[in-house]
Amino acid sequence: MTRPGFVLEVDDRTPPLLVHEGLGFRLEEFPQGTRVVYPPESLPTVPDVEEAIREALENPVDSEPLRELMFPGMRLTIAFDDLSLPLPTMKAPDIRGRIIEQVLTIAAEKGVDDVEIIAALALHRRMTDAEMKHIVGERVFRSFAPQGLLYNHDAEDRANLEHMGVTEKGEDVEINKRAATSDLLIYVNVNLVAMDGGHKSVGIGLASYKSIKHHHNAKTMVHSRSFMDHKHSEMHSSAWRMGRLIGENVKVFQIETTLDNEVFGRPYDTLLKREWEWSLRDQATVLGLRRGLAVAPQKMRHKMFHDLRSNYGLTGITAGAVEPVHELTVQRVHQQQRVKVEGQSDVMVMGVPYLGPYNVNSTMNPILAACMGLGYYFNSYLRQPVVREGGVAILYHPLDEGFNTLTHPSYVDFYEEVLADTTDPALIGPKFEEQFATDPWYVHLYRTSNAYHGVHPFYMWYWIAHALDHLGDVIWVGGNPKAAARMGFRSASTLRDALEMASSTVGPSPSITYLRNPPHLLADVR
Amino acid sequence: MTSEIRERLAGQHVLLTGVTGFVGEALLHLLLTEVPDVRLSVLVRPKGSTSGTDRIAKLLAKPIFETVADAQVNVVEGDLSDPPALPDDLDAVVHSAGDVSFDPPVDEGFVTNVVGVRELLKRVEETGRDIHYLHVSTAYVSGRRRGHIPEGPVDHAVDVEAELTWGLAQRAAVEERSRGVEVISRLRKQAEREHGRAGLMTAAAAAEEARKKWVKDELVRLGTERARSLGWTDCYTFTKALGERVVEAHAARGNRATIYRPAIIESALTRPHPGWIEGFKMAEPLILAYGRGELPLFPAAADTAIDIVPVDHVVASIVACLAHPPAHGDPAYFHLASGDRNPVTFGMLYETVRAYFSKEPFAAGDRGAARLPEWTFPGGASVERVMATGEKVHKIADTLLGLAPRSDRTRGWARDLDRQGRRLKFLRRYLDLYKEYAQADLRFVDANTLALYRSLSPADQETFAFDTGVIDWHEYLHDIHVPSVTKPVRELDELRKLRKKPVPGRMPRISATSPTEEKRVAAFFDLDGTLMSSNVIETYLWLRLGELSGTKKAAEIARMAGKVPKYVWADRAERSSLLRTVYKEYAGARLSDLDGIVDEHLTTHILGRLAPDAVRRIREHRAAGHLTVLVTGAIRPLTRPLLPLFDHIEAADLAVDDRGYCTGHLAASPLVGESRGSFVREWSRREGISTADCFAYADSHSDLPLLAAVGHPVAVRPDVPLFRHAKKSHWAIVDWESPGHASRTLDPAGLRR
Repeated sequence: MTRPGFVLEVDDRTPPLLVHEGLGFRLEEFPQGTRVVYPPESLPTVPDVEEAIREALENPVDSEPLRELMFPGMRLTIAFDDLSLPLPTMKAPDIRGRIIEQVLTIAAEKGVDDVEIIAALALHRRMTDAEMKHIVGERVFRSFAPQGLLYNHDAEDRANLEHMGVTEKGEDVEINKRAATSDLLIYVNVNLVAMDGGHKSVGIGLASYKSIKHHHNAKTMVHSRSFMDHKHSEMHSSAWRMGRLIGENVKVFQIETTLDNEVFGRPYDTLLKREWEWSLRDQATVLGLRRGLAVAPQKMRHKMFHDLRSNYGLTGITAGAVEPVHELTVQRVHQQQRVKVEGQSDVMVMGVPYLGPYNVNSTMNPILAACMGLGYYFNSYLRQPVVREGGVAILYHPLDEGFNTLTHPSYVDFYEEVLADTTDPALIGPKFEEQFATDPWYVHLYRTSNAYHGVHPFYMWYWIAHALDHLGDVIWVGGNPKAAARMGFRSASTLRDALEMASSTVGPSPSITYLRNPPHLLADVR
Repeated sequence: MTSEIRERLAGQHVLLTGVTGFVGEALLHLLLTEVPDVRLSVLVRPKGSTSGTDRIAKLLAKPIFETVADAQVNVVEGDLSDPPALPDDLDAVVHSAGDVSFDPPVDEGFVTNVVGVRELLKRVEETGRDIHYLHVSTAYVSGRRRGHIPEGPVDHAVDVEAELTWGLAQRAAVEERSRGVEVISRLRKQAEREHGRAGLMTAAAAAEEARKKWVKDELVRLGTERARSLGWTDCYTFTKALGERVVEAHAARGNRATIYRPAIIESALTRPHPGWIEGFKMAEPLILAYGRGELPLFPAAADTAIDIVPVDHVVASIVACLAHPPAHGDPAYFHLASGDRNPVTFGMLYETVRAYFSKEPFAAGDRGAARLPEWTFPGGASVERVMATGEKVHKIADTLLGLAPRSDRTRGWARDLDRQGRRLKFLRRYLDLYKEYAQADLRFVDANTLALYRSLSPADQETFAFDTGVIDWHEYLHDIHVPSVTKPVRELDELRKLRKKPVPGRMPRISATSPTEEKRVAAFFDLDGTLMSSNVIETYLWLRLGELSGTKKAAEIARMAGKVPKYVWADRAERSSLLRTVYKEYAGARLSDLDGIVDEHLTTHILGRLAPDAVRRIREHRAAGHLTVLVTGAIRPLTRPLLPLFDHIEAADLAVDDRGYCTGHLAASPLVGESRGSFVREWSRREGISTADCFAYADSHSDLPLLAAVGHPVAVRPDVPLFRHAKKSHWAIVDWESPGHASRTLDPAGLRR
């Protein structure tokens, strides 16, 4: 039986608690009375993955079985989530590859031979061959990639984008032409957190900048409360409007999967356990890791962490019509990650780990670290934020990894030019976004290299707009003061200092909540 | 009260030389204020485009002359080496012009101190009048003698005419010798060793520069050596002593002449105002260096006297001498010195200066006041040992630095080393110059001067005070002299503090050119080391490794590793031979395959290594409407990923045979060194662009001609020779950090824990 998530109140028997901070972690002694939110333990996984996939494809929700949607001579397009999901990358075989294999088997049986497979990466970076091969599997890669039938979506390829119309709110819907003109578009998703999937999959994953900018902006993002609850998220409403419009033009068969909470494989699984339950082996592991990390050069720590593969198990798979499928998916995600938290607190503490969706095989630069903490973790709530309005967020991350110029070229310039000018999400959009989005050099790098689109750092900053709007102060423990200041934040060397600094905002004895994340959690704040 | 001196000089017509100098200016001031009835003419040479009259007008506009603003001074324009005819009603001439540099080139020393005197006296004799000639010499004409020095002719038997002929001939002789094969080939080889990588023309320019410097140094050395071989400390005192002989000969022809010898002249005691000084004299650089904590030792003994006199005593005694002309044919001698009756010792000087700076340290930047060195007066030999060791260590460090790989740390070392080097050079120069004086136990007897002073009326004794025996040296040094000489430095420090950053060396601004404007601008960028951290060997390896499988890769790396010393050697020798060596390795590759490999495998490598600041700068240029040009010795396929950033790419083309295979040779010579400079000029000419408006960015000494060809050069993470050149030329130096493999660190010092 899976133990549910719970909220621990720190007392004098509580051992130091694990806090992630970039390429490392620390054991922190929290003040007594601090609430620590632990997510539920992993749900049971499906006993037979292949069987579960078969079952989902044969008995979809609100749809004919996949087999019956196929016919010889049809145009079939399979799109899948890119490497930003799941985190960390799964151990091979990746669930998406297993699903695509079965889909292709059915297609072959039905005599479908016009098949193309597209990585739905929106404005993310192109994946390398190796990364692509990891997701779809060796066999699929070998059969499709050399012929150019397995490729990365290109949101700047004007010739291969299709404008499908305008929603009732005037939003342009423009997606990949191949996908838009297919007889059947199958989307293979990994629903790691509640904000993923649904109409976001096709509507954003295969869209162009022209389409995405309607919901990826500061105004929409501030009014998305929360992103994890698509019925109360402006961004999701927009994506849903677009998705429905797409659905009127092309038949979409959505396959969504949900995962358990086994974020790290052995021996790092210790990092997921509750500290007071650490066995001798666990304690030795933590000690050894801490000693090793303390002396390892940054490059080595980077390699050590980024070579980690997750042990995720499949908790469920649903296929069929987008909306009913997504309802079921969200239910399962909530079941895995939701924790009831009674009331807001004055201070919210978060440890930003080494990995976010946008630095797989790359570096967690300061902007991504801010986005991870104030975007993903802050927004990981239902009903209301964990911290009260005007409260303080305390984050852990050294902010010292620097920028990867291959994957994040526009981030460097965003950091040096835009953030040096203003850190207000509402101001950067009108002043700089157009210039970065249309810059031919960034476009060139996005299309030919492995670079995130020029506009991507803006989205990171819009992502944290809600947090910036809501919070009274943001303090980074152990953060590089220069980088923190550039982003408009403050840094402290210890939690004690950070609380001292926060006291001017929330008083000398604030209520504190620490989100013990990872494993993934979703705070349901009553 | 009436002044006897004023009465004696009333109505007399006096000609002054050297009034633009320190003593001359003080003398002019004193005569104008205290002897208003004397008529004054000044002999001034034009300087540049400024005429003598203008120079005097400018001089009289100085604050100290405010009280005598309506003074009448007759200006005689002319140069002492060929003086004009003098006014025909002259009564006296005071000659205080002369170069006070201790180590002039030997010919200049003779021209100033001997020829100048001879020519002036010729003009004096030509007037046919009974003129009192007062010759300002120096007490140190006694040279290397020791002990008491009387007020009389210096005892020596040097043939003035012979020495003069020799001295004047030296410039031609040394110029001739400097073109001799031994000198010129040594200088050329050294220049080629240092600058060869930048090209032979750069080396040639450096060699000619070195020859000119050699000529100057040699002339100085000759002067000093000749002076010492005859018993003088240096060329200055030697030629001054010969100058006195010329004056004595003039007196012997039945004329009236006074030879006036002051010791070391320092700031004024009371007049025009306490502490008044113009420019830096002998002790000031040492005092300032001490205050900055940069003078750790001195070769004097603590009890040796340093014979200093205030400038107002000097000019007052000159006026007194002027009022008391000697008999015809019998020159009078006067010493103005303090060492005999009221000496200042180096120990006193040191204590006073130290006390002053302890109380009032220089506001020394952001690191607090400098630590004041404690002198132990270990004696000349010991100081010399310390200096010699320091110089040796500096030389070794410099050699090692030339071999060190380039990095921030190396440049930091270079900066420190150069600072140390400048200090050592400063020390060496001053110690060499002043060693003679610092160790000279000379006592200048001033009996004549004292007798003259005592003969004055009490009123004159007050107005024209020059009894050095009554000066309170501690008060003078501590309260007047040192505060006065440190004042301008403090003001400069204040100014420097107000300025945030030093102006030279700043990154040149990019200003947009409007499309309507005729003026076009180009920016030239070097590739390796400037835009990205790599070199040709690495790029070769990337290319090859793309083609090879695992085991072959290892073998290839091993093979290249075996050759590395050879490549490193080639890199030091000449850049183009390195490139040729590396490109041989491409033999047998198909050019179209190379393009394919680059597109497939190397784009990520190359783009991942681009320095973000470099890319931003290129894009700024493009945004400003400038043309961007990539100049590289790398082969063209490697530049493919950069195509969108540049309007023109000048790269090496590999020669291919008719089947499209590389031959291992280049289609044309690689563009390195000087050919980069000429490429820039030729390309700009063809495009109708003025190179003066252009920008260039490069990292290595071999790119010097490229940088020198444009108006706005920028050194990017330069190697040590380029770093030094850039600092010297006030070029901008920037640090465009390339990402290593995965990441660019924001702040290397911030990598804590």
